[in-house]
Amino acid sequence: MDAPRLWTFPKWTNLAGVGLLLGLLTVPVYLGLLLAYGANATTLNVGYQPKQPVPYSHAVHVGKLGMDCRYCHTTVEQTGFAALPSTDICMNCHKTILPDSARMALVQQSYVEGTPIPWKKVHLMADYVYFNHSAHVNVGVGCIECHGPVEQMETVYMAKPLNMAWCLECHRDPKPYLRPRDQVTNMNWTPQGADNPRARADLGKKLEENYHVRASTDCVTCHR
Amino acid sequence: MATVALQEIDNTVEDPRQRATLILGEPGTSLHEVSEAICGVAEARHPPKPWYAALGIAMLALGLLGLMIVYLFFTGIGVWNLNRPVAWAFDITNFVFWVGIGHAGTLISAILFLFRQKWRTSINRFAEAMTIFAVMCAGLFPAIHLGRPWFFYWMIPYPNQMGMWPGFLSPLLWDMFAVGTYFTVSLLFWYMGMVPDLATFRDRATGRFRYYIYGVLSLGWRGSQRHWHVYEKAYLLLAALATPLVLSVHSVVSFDFAVAQLPGWHSIVFPPYFVAGAIFSGFAMVVTLAIPAREMFGLKNFITLRHLDNMAKVILVTSLMVAYAYATEFFMAWYSASQWEQFHFLNRLFGPMWWAGWTMLICNAVVPQVLWFKKARQNVWILFTVCILVNVGMWFERFVIIVIGLHRDFLPSSWGSYYPSYVEVVTFIGSFGLFLTLFLLFCRYLPIVAMAEVKGILPHGHGSNEPGQGHDAAVPQTDEIGTSDKGAVGSVADSAPVASRDVDSFAVARPTPPAPKLWGLLAEYDSSDALLKAAEKVRDAGYKRWDCFSPFPVHGLDRAMGIRATILPWMVLAAGLVGAAVAVILQWYTNSPQTVSAQAGALSGYPMIFSGKPFWSLPANIPIVFELTVLFAALMTFFGLWALIRLPRLHFPAFASRRFRRVTDDRFFLLVQANDEKYHSKPTRNLLAGTNCVVVEDVFDE
Repeated sequence: MDAPRLWTFPKWTNLAGVGLLLGLLTVPVYLGLLLAYGANATTLNVGYQPKQPVPYSHAVHVGKLGMDCRYCHTTVEQTGFAALPSTDICMNCHKTILPDSARMALVQQSYVEGTPIPWKKVHLMADYVYFNHSAHVNVGVGCIECHGPVEQMETVYMAKPLNMAWCLECHRDPKPYLRPRDQVTNMNWTPQGADNPRARADLGKKLEENYHVRASTDCVTCHR
Repeated sequence: MATVALQEIDNTVEDPRQRATLILGEPGTSLHEVSEAICGVAEARHPPKPWYAALGIAMLALGLLGLMIVYLFFTGIGVWNLNRPVAWAFDITNFVFWVGIGHAGTLISAILFLFRQKWRTSINRFAEAMTIFAVMCAGLFPAIHLGRPWFFYWMIPYPNQMGMWPGFLSPLLWDMFAVGTYFTVSLLFWYMGMVPDLATFRDRATGRFRYYIYGVLSLGWRGSQRHWHVYEKAYLLLAALATPLVLSVHSVVSFDFAVAQLPGWHSIVFPPYFVAGAIFSGFAMVVTLAIPAREMFGLKNFITLRHLDNMAKVILVTSLMVAYAYATEFFMAWYSASQWEQFHFLNRLFGPMWWAGWTMLICNAVVPQVLWFKKARQNVWILFTVCILVNVGMWFERFVIIVIGLHRDFLPSSWGSYYPSYVEVVTFIGSFGLFLTLFLLFCRYLPIVAMAEVKGILPHGHGSNEPGQGHDAAVPQTDEIGTSDKGAVGSVADSAPVASRDVDSFAVARPTPPAPKLWGLLAEYDSSDALLKAAEKVRDAGYKRWDCFSPFPVHGLDRAMGIRATILPWMVLAAGLVGAAVAVILQWYTNSPQTVSAQAGALSGYPMIFSGKPFWSLPANIPIVFELTVLFAALMTFFGLWALIRLPRLHFPAFASRRFRRVTDDRFFLLVQANDEKYHSKPTRNLLAGTNCVVVEDVFDE
């Protein structure tokens, strides 16, 4: 008789069920890893530190010499965009200070030829986000709150994640992040009685009222 | 394919003295003929010619759908003629249309199951398939009408770096959960119901690939009674879970409209009205598909005129419900004295889109009235025409509600008009291509009728093979082993005229001594009654490691075997409660005011205002709670079932027996394992031999 052959599965295939189970277990593991990766500071670009064309040191200019942020970033109080300084501003001092330094070569060239220095933007917001510097600086949000300790940075890096959840932290409750307007650019400001949380809370509350801070979480506040 | 001689039985006659047979012809009397007829569709070397033609057309439409979607994605949503004020038109019309069609399958499989409507067994499998494919078509439209469809996963709640959560109070999100849950549960239901039939496909396979593919798909199902016991409970649980789900899905879809304030939308009658309409259109689609399918695949004995008649009655009833809802709407418009409501309903019938309004009214409320007549219900041509018109009418119903509702708003200054672009029309036609392609492939490669369930309702199935016992309609047996040859003794082959395919297996199945270890003794029976009595004997003899196997769950066998009730229902209850708790906590945490979120940083919620509801609004939170309860419970039912019966195990020693291949066809088996404490070669063999079995055979482990 030529009955059709009787196919069967070999015995080891019974382990396939166990394999399937282990396979299913990888799903939550994968999802967990995915979330961890997504929330990781590196993923969010914290620590992004591009090499700049000119080895300009904020640590020297701000930290050592004590220059004010606004000396170079001139428009920060008036406009949404905190301007990058033109070469002229550099040359106000560097005409006389170290004019021939090799580190200054590109700045000199830019000055002579009238071409801009190709700085690399560090704090790059997504196009669908509207951010206005003046709106923040003028109600007492210190530079350091978003940019970190710039006065210690040899080369500027991103200190904060700048993601939406991070923005919301302050927009939901801005009080702990407010300081008197005249202290906005002060990198070393500490509120009086900094070790007294109560006093800090009172100050935040007072400033919020005085400056009419209305940190909205409406979509349209940032996505216009 | 088996050529089945049509018996001159008219099963549409209502005679209170006896129950009408549900399955006609030879399949109506023989388990094996059921397998032959249904498996024949998939086992035929070539499908029928119309199948190729239909598949060709369907795939052409599917290709067009693909092109249109690519064009849409690359060009933008502007290729559709959507604009203010008509921002929803073909897309959402198609979505509601397809979701509505997707209601019949689960209604038939779940609600009719709970109501013990046994005629459902012939049509439930392909109605369920239809449901799944329809819901896939439905899900397509909201996905592609998103401006940025690649971000569709933003609707799923997961902790993210934006600090955003979906708006749990929005009807559109309820919709996502409702349709997603419905699709998942329908898919689980469909697949779970198919496993025993896939096992039949596997056991009948002659080629290696068929065996392996269907073998993997059927997870090693072997018709074990210990499996059937949990399986039946799981099926019941899924049916019970799916029943409120069927009613909820279209209710939630109707909330998309009813929660808005637009005249013609903001109506409390919408949920029941939509559900009735969905069942109406779903049954119409089932009939539309069933009539050609029974013709094409020779299933007239399974999907009989009685089935069509029953479905026509459901269509008639739901048509009356829909007509009543229309009447209510018009009445309420008049009675409300709201000029906007009144204008809307006049505008439906006499406005610029009067043709849509009248098409809806005539096709849905007037045309189905012919189904009052039995002649119309049982004439496939009339029935088919009515069902096509109902499908048309129901599509227009959604078009009327959406487009006529939107194009004349409260303010005449914001009035507008709408006509579809060719992209919208072709996308809609293309969705039929997706639907029909999947459906035709299903017809060819998967069991189109639930064989195991049909076998269970045959008069044959419950009784023995002996003619005259159990039912009157019995015709001479087609089984190879005559009923007079029962009671073979020992493992000695009985003198029965064994079918040719069994003769040779006999030699294979009884190897000589140097063979591997004996694993158990397998006794074969040709009726469920014989198995039932044998099971009682073996149980009383005190065996522990033994089992019964049958092509369908044999009622009473659980008790005869002394199987204890499964704990599955408790597991499902627990899972449902967990689902409800997750939903409540999730919504409370993400949408409640910031008291919680302030400390939680990146994982905090995002309270948003929807329709002026409070952030924590229990009535508005119910839909999500309901959906997650059902989803968790259904997943637990499905995975709990396989865990309890430990199933994906493709290898089973008895599979080596050629006789055992018929366990998914028409034979019943009892197996005592050799490692049972009570097992002793001779007495056990004699015990089995004394149980009216056809034969006792040795099963060896590899």
